[in-house]
Amino acid sequence: MIELLLVPFLEAAVRTATPLAFAALGELVAERAGVINLGLEGTIIAGCLGGAAGALLGGPALGFAGAALAGMLIASVFALFVVRIGTDQIITGTALTLLGLGITGTVFHVAPAVVGAGQVIPTTGPIAIPGLSAVPILGTALFRQPLATYALYLLVPALAWWMGRTHAGLALRAVGESPEAAAAAGLSPRRIRTVAILFSGLMGGLCGGTLVLAQVGAFNEGMSAGRGFIAIAIVVLGRWTPLGTAGAALVFGGAFALQYLFQSLGSSLPYQLFLALPYVLTLVLLAALRGRAAAPARLGR
Amino acid sequence: MHVNLRLNISKAVIFIHTTIFGILGCGAEGPKVQDSQRFRVALLTPGPISDQSWNASAYAGLGIIRDSLGADVRHVQTRTPAEFEENFRQYGAAGFDLVIGHGFEFQEAAQRVGPEFPRTTFVTTGGTGTGPNIAALSFVFEEPSYLAGIVAASVTRSKVLAVIGGTELPPVRASFDAFAAGAKSVNPQVTVLTAFIGNWEDAGAGKEQALALIARRADVIYQNADAAGLGVFQAVRESPGVWVFGSNADQNHIAPAVTLGSVVIDVPLAFRLLAEEVKTGRFVPRVVHFDTKSNVVRWVPNPAIPPLPPAVRARVDSVRLAFAEGRGPELAGRQ
Repeated sequence: MIELLLVPFLEAAVRTATPLAFAALGELVAERAGVINLGLEGTIIAGCLGGAAGALLGGPALGFAGAALAGMLIASVFALFVVRIGTDQIITGTALTLLGLGITGTVFHVAPAVVGAGQVIPTTGPIAIPGLSAVPILGTALFRQPLATYALYLLVPALAWWMGRTHAGLALRAVGESPEAAAAAGLSPRRIRTVAILFSGLMGGLCGGTLVLAQVGAFNEGMSAGRGFIAIAIVVLGRWTPLGTAGAALVFGGAFALQYLFQSLGSSLPYQLFLALPYVLTLVLLAALRGRAAAPARLGR
Repeated sequence: MHVNLRLNISKAVIFIHTTIFGILGCGAEGPKVQDSQRFRVALLTPGPISDQSWNASAYAGLGIIRDSLGADVRHVQTRTPAEFEENFRQYGAAGFDLVIGHGFEFQEAAQRVGPEFPRTTFVTTGGTGTGPNIAALSFVFEEPSYLAGIVAASVTRSKVLAVIGGTELPPVRASFDAFAAGAKSVNPQVTVLTAFIGNWEDAGAGKEQALALIARRADVIYQNADAAGLGVFQAVRESPGVWVFGSNADQNHIAPAVTLGSVVIDVPLAFRLLAEEVKTGRFVPRVVHFDTKSNVVRWVPNPAIPPLPPAVRARVDSVRLAFAEGRGPELAGRQ
């Protein structure tokens, strides 16, 4: 009986966490370079649109390429304003979120055929890894997932290694702590921040691509539905480390999956109570983890 | 912060929409005072018109009004009650003849703004509020929902059905209750699980909620979630042996292999009937009921799947006839 509840719950948790982890890992890299990218939501919805358009042209692979490209396009505008012109990060990011949501909606109305209105977009289904997926309870949750999830299994340790053990990773963190000191050491804070922002755009785009190409199989306006802001909270919860961020994404995925599970049990409690669960959890966890300051010293400046 | 940002975002999206459409000359520019004598109609939708459901059907209805009555039409997407009022007021001030708020949630804004612009007729789709220039369209969506319930209970093997809504608006709740009543009229043993996504756009959440219900052995799902419902269709596509119903618009084409049929509101027909009355000055503000008899609400079986067993079809037909003759089963929530 418990397995009947637990296995679908765990599968849903990993599925829901996957797009969130993409966006949050991208945001993590930007924030370690001292840039808070509130335009993430805009890059995600652009990724959804780019993913749909690409997949209709040439299948899921081109879809993911389109998603990454669209996310980077939005991020490059952000980089231009924030790094080149020196505008306020919070305001610029918010504006880009609005721009992303507006532009994608407009494209959808002007050229619905391009983004597959009323069409089924080809998706990548789950692939079971032989042997591992047969492990009881956790097997299917971890090893019967779309390729996007497996890509994260490789990316998270790679990012942790890169950030903590390489010169480039050290340079990134130095820019986030003290751009002046980094410049004095011969680094170019502007260039490093630009690359970090573009990476966050790429990952935000892939978040949108995963939503469309590995989950929903359709594009619709506003389908990012606040995931960009949740991803920013995930980075804080993950204490600005790759492993922490991946773990926090999984906690959020679990909270959403628990919400779906509770509603499906036929309880008579008001459904709003369940919908609030992930957000209540965020507040509780943030309060519990407070005091262990780990934010880059020059974040947002 | 999250909520506030969402609200502001939707406002800005509309702003960007209107701006860009204005630049492109696509006809979505804001209301302007004109002295033309053309019949002018504005539509406010609570969500994107690309949802292939509730909002899409309203936009199609607006097109019918434009084409059949030669009307000058405008559409704007709104989200918050403040925007409802603001847009009602703008179109009222611009002297529009008919302004439609497409949803139950627009009725309070209509009550507040209506008295300020007596020349304009304000109509809400759903709701019960009326006034000298305020009316409501009431769709007796419960009747075809009850028919869908009969079909669901006849098809299910697990005896577990599920309903998924966007948010718990009273008309949505009433149609879900009617669906459950129809199902239980066939087999009192069926269980109906209920879930709400919390919004009408998050297709990813729609899909996960559907999968969670399917994991609880639900094998027929009645969804009423607009754009978020597209995720429900995808979940059913991926789950062998599970069926789904479309709602609001005829959604049989979205997932033709796994859809039993759609519970349709023919909004274009209702809008045309309404606009004709307003244009010719025959309109009397009231709650206009559209029921099975008017053919505006109806159960549309999916022609792409093998027909249901004759006994089921006969049962559906006889109950539909009873509804059309006003002697159908009593449904809670019916006004």
